[in-house]
Amino acid sequence: MTGLPAGLYQPGDSVLHRLDPRAKLLALFLLLGAVIAADNLLGCAAVLLFVGWIVGLSGLPLGTALGSAARLRWFFLLIFLMNLFFYAPEEAWAVWWVFRPSGKGLVQGALVVFRVFLLLAAGNVLTLTTPPMALTDGMEWLLKPLGRLKIPVGQVAMILSVAIQFIPVLLEETETIRRAQMARGARFDSSRLWEKAGAVLPLVVPVFLAAFQRADELALAMEARGYRPGLPRPRKEERPFRRADWMALSVCVLLCVLAFAPV
Amino acid sequence: MEKMSSVKRSILTAVCLALCVVLPQAFHAIPNAGAIYSPIHIPVLLCGLVCGWPYGLLCGLAGPALSTLLTGMPPAAQLPPMMVECAVYGLAAGIFMRIVRTRSVYADLYISLLSAMLAGRLAAGAAKAAIFAPSSFTLAAWTTGYFVTALPGIVIQLVLLPSLAFALMKARLIPPRYPES
Repeated sequence: MTGLPAGLYQPGDSVLHRLDPRAKLLALFLLLGAVIAADNLLGCAAVLLFVGWIVGLSGLPLGTALGSAARLRWFFLLIFLMNLFFYAPEEAWAVWWVFRPSGKGLVQGALVVFRVFLLLAAGNVLTLTTPPMALTDGMEWLLKPLGRLKIPVGQVAMILSVAIQFIPVLLEETETIRRAQMARGARFDSSRLWEKAGAVLPLVVPVFLAAFQRADELALAMEARGYRPGLPRPRKEERPFRRADWMALSVCVLLCVLAFAPV
Repeated sequence: MEKMSSVKRSILTAVCLALCVVLPQAFHAIPNAGAIYSPIHIPVLLCGLVCGWPYGLLCGLAGPALSTLLTGMPPAAQLPPMMVECAVYGLAAGIFMRIVRTRSVYADLYISLLSAMLAGRLAAGAAKAAIFAPSSFTLAAWTTGYFVTALPGIVIQLVLLPSLAFALMKARLIPPRYPES
C-alpha cells in the first residue's frame, strides 16, 4: 500500500509527453494488435524493439516505465512453468510424476509471458506520459461513435477521469485507516489466512464510508457550480494531428503489418 | 436510492471505479487473494446496488480494465472473462434492485445481491465455455473456481455489502430506500 500505483502521470517534456493523447491511444490499440499477432521471431523482435524504443523516448527511468510489469515477475514465472510442464504432454521430453516438459510448452510459455509483459509496459508508458484530463479528452474522442447508440460518451469520459484522479487520494486514505486499525490491534501481518482476511474487513468499511463522503462532497460542489451531465463542457480547442502524431501512428501501422505478415 | 441525481450517481460510480484499483491493493498482502476474496467484486456490486444498472454495468466493464492498466492485476489474460463477470454483476445488481421491492431494505439487498452473484458466475462460466476457453473449460472447473475457491469471498460479500449499503444510508450518503418507514 505504500506509494502510488504504477501508471500515474509523471510530468515531463519528452516526445511521448508531447504527442496528442488521441494518437497515443490509437497507437496503443495498434500495438495491442501487433503484440497479439506476433508469433514468429521477426514479429516478436519488431514489437520488442518498438516497446524498448518508446520506453527510451518517454525519458522515464526504466524501473518506473516497467513498474507494473516488473512487479508481476512471480506470476510470469508461474505462467511460464505451467505452460512448459503441461501445454503439450504428448510431445514431452521426459516424464516425472505429473510434469511433462515439452518444446511446444517452452515456446508457448515464453510467448504468453512476452505478450503480457509488453502490453503492460506499453499501457504503463501511456498513463505515465499523459495527464488524466488529456486522457479523458482522448477517450471521449475515441468513444464518440458510441454516441450514435445514445451512450452518454461525455459522462462516461468524466466518470473515468474522476476515477483516475480519486485513486491516489483513496490510496492515501486507505493507508491512514490501515495504520489506525493497526494501532487498535489489527494484525495485517498474521500468517493465518482467516486472521489476515479478518483484519482487512475493518479496513474496508471505513474506506468505503470515507470514499462515499468525498464523492458526496464533490457531487454537491459540481451541482452547485452548475454541472449537468450531457451539456458540453469547456475544454481546449481540439487541434488537428501534427506531423509527430501521424508519424507515431504510421510506425504502429507498419509494426502491425510486420506482425501480421506470414513468414 | 430513488432520489439521487445523475451527477451524484456518476461521482459514486467514479469512486467505485477507483476502489476497484485501491481495494485489491489492500488485499495484496494475502496470497492468491484475488481468486479467494475477489476484492474487485465488492465495489462493482455496491455500485450496481446503489447507483443502478447503467452505472453498475460501466463500473463492471471499466473497473477490472483500469486495475489491469494501472496495477497489472488482474493479469491481462484473465481480463476479458473478468470484465464479463463484473459487468453482469453490476448490471444484474442494478436491475434486481429496481425490480425487487419487499418493503424490507435487507430483504431487497440480499435478494438482489444473491441473484446478481449467481448471474455473474453463470455469465462468466458461459463466456469461458463458449469464447475464452472453449476446449478446456469444464463444469468441475467452473464449480471449483467460482464457488469453492471463492467461498471466503462470497461470505465476505454477503456479510459486507448489505451492511455497507445500510451504513451509507444511515450516514445519509445515499438516500433511504423506503423513506417513510
